[in-house]
Amino acid sequence: MRRGNKRISKEDNLRNLDDVVPLTSLRERETGVVVHAVGGFGLVRRLAEMGLTPGVEVKVLRTGPFRGPFEIEVRGVALALGRGVASRVFVRPLRSESNG
Amino acid sequence: MAERQLTIALAGNANVGKSVIFNQLTGLNQVVGNWPGKTVERAEGPLFFKGYKIRVIDLPGIYSLSTFSMEEIVSRDYIAVEKPDIIINIVDASALERNLYFTLQLLELEASIIVDLNQVDFAAKKGIRIDVERLSEALGLPVVPTVAITGSGINEMLSTVIAVISGEEELKPLKVEYGKEIEERVKALEKLLRDKLPEVCMVYPARWIAVKLLERDIDVSGKLKNYEAGKGVLEYAEKLAAELEKIHGEPSPVVMASERYGLANKIAKDVTIVEAPPRISLEQKLDAITTHKVFGYPILVAVVASTFALIFVGGDFLIAGLGFLFDNLLFFVEGVLSSFLPEIAVELINKGILNGVVAGITIALPYIVPFYIILALLEDSGYLPRAAFLMDNLMHKIGLHGKAFIPLMLGYGCSVPACIGCRIMETERERFLAGFVVVLIPCAARTVIILGLVGRFVGLHAALALYAFDLVLVFGLGRIAFNALPGEPVGLIMEMPPYKKPSMKNILMKTWSRTKDFIYIALPIIVAGSVIITVLDLSGFMDYMVDVVSPLTSGWLGLPAATSIPLIFGILRKELAIILLEDALLLQGMALQDLTAIEMIVFSLVTMIYIPCIATIAACVREFGWRKALAITVIDVALALFLGGLAYRLLPLVMVT
Repeated sequence: MRRGNKRISKEDNLRNLDDVVPLTSLRERETGVVVHAVGGFGLVRRLAEMGLTPGVEVKVLRTGPFRGPFEIEVRGVALALGRGVASRVFVRPLRSESNG
Repeated sequence: MAERQLTIALAGNANVGKSVIFNQLTGLNQVVGNWPGKTVERAEGPLFFKGYKIRVIDLPGIYSLSTFSMEEIVSRDYIAVEKPDIIINIVDASALERNLYFTLQLLELEASIIVDLNQVDFAAKKGIRIDVERLSEALGLPVVPTVAITGSGINEMLSTVIAVISGEEELKPLKVEYGKEIEERVKALEKLLRDKLPEVCMVYPARWIAVKLLERDIDVSGKLKNYEAGKGVLEYAEKLAAELEKIHGEPSPVVMASERYGLANKIAKDVTIVEAPPRISLEQKLDAITTHKVFGYPILVAVVASTFALIFVGGDFLIAGLGFLFDNLLFFVEGVLSSFLPEIAVELINKGILNGVVAGITIALPYIVPFYIILALLEDSGYLPRAAFLMDNLMHKIGLHGKAFIPLMLGYGCSVPACIGCRIMETERERFLAGFVVVLIPCAARTVIILGLVGRFVGLHAALALYAFDLVLVFGLGRIAFNALPGEPVGLIMEMPPYKKPSMKNILMKTWSRTKDFIYIALPIIVAGSVIITVLDLSGFMDYMVDVVSPLTSGWLGLPAATSIPLIFGILRKELAIILLEDALLLQGMALQDLTAIEMIVFSLVTMIYIPCIATIAACVREFGWRKALAITVIDVALALFLGGLAYRLLPLVMVT
């Protein structure tokens, strides 16, 4: 069940934060699992409402030019996040192509 | 037969084709306005179906029903308080999970919902098929698949509405439940709410208030503060929310959102059949190239340039045709009127009212209408978010983000829709910042002056230099305002909807409703301005005003005294400034080309910056309130005079006249 899965991943998150990186360190076409978002209450909440909740898989579709925004895919929707916003979302990179 | 009346409301995420469905349902009989006290657009229209007179309300397109924007508050208050008979929840079949999140929030509002599963054709193209029966079972709601663009399924949807209303079809809405630790707290809070605040629970569902309070929803807690018993309830809610946060180690709204998304994900997975792996489509190729690091920019420049080329070419063509038509018409009317009215009345009617109407139609509309058509095309195709994506970094330099590029671009057409366009920004601070800079963008009327005076007599390079200077000014001032205004800048969070082939019908309807909006705001003001000018002129008051301001125009700006008239009345009718200038100079026995290059540049510079026209001020008041509109106006006038005087003194040093 999904709820169960999420708990395990949350415990994992707390146990080991070594491989957690900001979303901005992913390159195009790389994927990661959201660990948490850091920032003001409003931002964290808005990201959650847009589907970026802990445990969800995200894929970087493209990065904008001149240190521009990141376009990611989350829950089947393409979202553009400004670089400042993207750097506040922390993910655990997935090495291989996962089908999870 | 007595008509039976019904109210249905359309609700859904942005980019799901909601406006297309609204247009399909109501056609041209829409009334577009604002929600009372809010700068959120409200559209409604009548529909007749099977003996029912149905009021269709288009709720603003939103991402979720939590308090981030006025759109969201407007929608959920409408659903909770006005209680429409049916909510049609438009759901994008190609992004089901994300859209179901919204559906779950509607279910929490305990509304009667019918799900319109839209864009099933587009989903099929992506290799996604939705099991409609299973989705309907999972949600306990009727689900009707539609393709809004072609109108397919719309009739079935309306029949379903009637079936639900008449009781033929029963709703067994899914109860949205959370994990045990949340559910316990929701129930405890719900019980307290029913005990302490029964009057609030009459309007809003008690469980919904409890959920929102646990999520620390500012709007809902603000509502409870007005009640005596509210304080205790809020303290208790705060304690429960803090407990939840301790258990989960996340802010409570994140905890609740995760749970809802968990449920949305489960339902979506259950009912989605992936038929074929998605192929790389033409749309995706288009997406890749228009957001490309290198090619994206020349494409953006080409799109913007061809937009303006089309507007000005198309506009000129229309102006010429309409101008000829109306000139003859006015001449004819003048002849008829003077046969039975005194000369002064004829002049007032003709010069004041009729000329105002004609100017509004022949000058403003030929630019506005083509502009709106192209804008709708760029919107519906999905190009605008790509442009915002490319411009995000640049916009950050003035404390805004990529989305602000959209009203900024609108500003080159007309400042009125540009001010209204600032609504897409998320916070009040962002909206005001964007509003402050868009009025500095030379609109079509100001372009006429810059090109018609400086471009024609001094040279195109000088006109382009003015534009370049304006951009520098916009960025410089934007930066100053950004640093001066309190508050944190908001980063870009924007959905990138896939490219779509726009529907001509929808584009024309959008253009029509926006043009109507423009006519309602701007045309009466243009006519009033025109009447005021005529009255002042006829009464001789204009000469007096010229005397009053001439120290400023002649002394500080170094312009001939006659230029005071177009400068003053440019406020009322900016598009007339060049014609007024010509008239005023003529009275002194001068022509436009008798002005020196420096005088022309100073005049154009001042006109470009000094004030948005009165219609823009009205739009600013509507969007930002009196005080901010006044601040924008005063700053712009002061700045224009300062820069004009500076230019008069500095230009001779760098220019050979």
